[in-house]
Amino acid sequence: MKRYAFAGILLLLFLITHHFEKNSLANTTQIKDINKTTIQGRVSSVYGPVQNARVRIPGDEKYTLTDKQGRYLLQPTHVHFQGVKVTAGKEGWFNNAQYAGPLGRVQDIYLNPIYLNDNPDYRFISPVVCSRCHTKLTRYWDQSKMAHTTSNPKVLDMFYGTDAFQHDNVKPGYRLDNPNSNGNCAVCHAPSAAVSSPWSQDLRSVLQSPRTEWDGVSCDYCHKIQKVFPDKTKASRMAPIFERQSSPIGNSILVFGPYDDVVVPPMAASYASVFNKGQFCATCHGHFKPLGSGKTWDHSKIYSPSEWEGFGLKGDTTLPIQTTYQEWEHWQDQLSWNDPNKGKKCQDCHMSWRKDMLPYDNYIVDGGARRMWGTYRSPEDIHPHQFDGGTKIQLKTALSMEIEGKITGKKVDINVYITNTNGGHWVPTGETMRSIMMVLKVVDSNGNPLKMLKGERLPEWTGKGKVEAGNYAGLPGSVFARVLADDKGHLNVPFWRATSIASDTRIRPKSTVKLSYEFLLENPEDEPSAEARLIYRPVIRPWVKNKHWLAEDILITSRVW
Amino acid sequence: MVFVLTIYLPGQALAGKITGIVKVKGLRSPVDILVYVVKAPAVHEDLSKIKFTMDQQNLTFIPHILPIPVGATVDFPNNDKVNHNIFSLSRTKKFNLGSYKPGESKNVRFDKPGIVELRCDVHAEMAAYIMVLKNSYFSVTDDQGRFEIPDSKYLEQHHIKGIKNLSPGKYVLKIWHEKLKPQKQIVTIPEKGDISVEITAVRGTPGVLYK
Repeated sequence: MKRYAFAGILLLLFLITHHFEKNSLANTTQIKDINKTTIQGRVSSVYGPVQNARVRIPGDEKYTLTDKQGRYLLQPTHVHFQGVKVTAGKEGWFNNAQYAGPLGRVQDIYLNPIYLNDNPDYRFISPVVCSRCHTKLTRYWDQSKMAHTTSNPKVLDMFYGTDAFQHDNVKPGYRLDNPNSNGNCAVCHAPSAAVSSPWSQDLRSVLQSPRTEWDGVSCDYCHKIQKVFPDKTKASRMAPIFERQSSPIGNSILVFGPYDDVVVPPMAASYASVFNKGQFCATCHGHFKPLGSGKTWDHSKIYSPSEWEGFGLKGDTTLPIQTTYQEWEHWQDQLSWNDPNKGKKCQDCHMSWRKDMLPYDNYIVDGGARRMWGTYRSPEDIHPHQFDGGTKIQLKTALSMEIEGKITGKKVDINVYITNTNGGHWVPTGETMRSIMMVLKVVDSNGNPLKMLKGERLPEWTGKGKVEAGNYAGLPGSVFARVLADDKGHLNVPFWRATSIASDTRIRPKSTVKLSYEFLLENPEDEPSAEARLIYRPVIRPWVKNKHWLAEDILITSRVW
Repeated sequence: MVFVLTIYLPGQALAGKITGIVKVKGLRSPVDILVYVVKAPAVHEDLSKIKFTMDQQNLTFIPHILPIPVGATVDFPNNDKVNHNIFSLSRTKKFNLGSYKPGESKNVRFDKPGIVELRCDVHAEMAAYIMVLKNSYFSVTDDQGRFEIPDSKYLEQHHIKGIKNLSPGKYVLKIWHEKLKPQKQIVTIPEKGDISVEITAVRGTPGVLYK
């Protein structure tokens, strides 16, 4: 009897061991010919099957969607030499994964819902924490303007009415005109601090705080955004929906992002499609000012009905101050479905690879984290976080210029063509202190300037004084800018004083502006020449002088005829 | 312009090559400068079978400057690891190839002389030039600034046949580089032998190909 009992125990032990071994193999077994093996399984939840979950082998370009019963069939596109992991993700759910067995069968992938219990008292984590694994991404971010939106000296000077030497009462300054108001600058310039109280954040108090995560648009701030929706009460008319975690979620960091295949212990990752949409940028890259007190302005002389509609505005009681997102959206809306530019979004250009980042990387994590949790991806599937915008590199190719000339008797006709080649929005965009100037010089063979008979001259605010010092007022040329005006007709006023837009000559995406000039050629036998220079000016000249800012012009391009 | 037209006096016999060197002030290297004869006989070769290539690797167009005779077709293979979207909004040739993946290739025919500025819609650093020329008498300088017209290396590389030396006479030679001032030189090709020229160029604003 004892012998039978002993044999029974041995048999039981064998079965138990075999069972564990089998399960363990399910985690690590290689599928010998993965290209011929179809992986199949089901995605489920506490509520039952999950339909339309995105299922894929992590890092693979292709994914499949689950059916009503949560079922999926997956054909891997690459040979995998380690255990085949299958991930599933869906908006509103935490991503999860399972390992495929040797025959391609996968245990149910169980998804947990994101419970809608945003925690306003949540303290955003410092980017330093993110840099432990995402070393390169955070380094790119740290070198970007996005990381320093709060400590940007020009922002602080504009807010407090100071200059580069920290002298007080230097116009313009928001606080000089509104001494008792904090404004709502912090909403975008210190968003982590402002998210709980947008009207009561003084920028200096944010900077003086030991909470270093408050400076700039931080990693955790953006990756706590689940969705973006229209909200006319906001200055940008768009608002983020946050899901800041509460303690019950545990030690993992809740992050929303563009990946449905990130399933790693340090993070509780959730796929959010808004990360792949231009809409994500809309919460800050738009700024509208209601005029209030029944005031109106006539926009019909400045914008076409289509453009005005593109800003999302009706009536004439609102001033569009910054409209980068709307400019892009309007351009996209106008493109036909088969236009090669259809579907291009902010992230494609402002979060793309740069030469100084090469060689390409296939991981978004570095160091030890790569070994433990890294997913091999195509570089196309990785968006470096450098947020290039208004940089020399971008400006040099944002616009292009061509020049042509024709001599007819004593007349020289010059045409200059300026094209917005790479901007998916109007150029220049964003801050209204920016402008682009085309400066034209037409001379005879001895270098003497020819007299202009017809054509536009640069306005006074492009600078009076020596040309060598960057003053171009009165010279043949043209300026591209959105010019804000106040009730008294003053031009280039700061947005908080603006009551109308005097002009908006910025260049629309992919469109060409033709500028025509006529000059007098005293000697028809002479061989004159023309030089056109296209110059980006980050801050209009009067403000640079007042504020003693270092804001050098950038030569975008120049052409000679 | 009138002057340029009157000095072109092609003879019957074909003489030597135009060889020379471009010396530059203000540039690190005298490489990639286009040297071309403004007016010369256009050889009506069959361009349909000649392959011109503008490659894409590591966020760079290769070569940076590609001279081609008018009517030529250029292939744009993507040999990079990311998608590219090549386009041009130049008045010489407007096109947009759309975004395409590594390993794929598209092509464009250039049927009008002039400068075509190439861009990639998503990578701001990528810029290159296709110079569409009226004839095949051009060359691009090597890293020493040297050139020869006709450019035997270029002709051999692209399997172009039938381009012979220019006839004796006077010709206008011009250069083009995105960072150099326009420069022109009149050269006289003798009855026999090559002509050697030296061109000095300075940093400045580039000009048009044909004024």
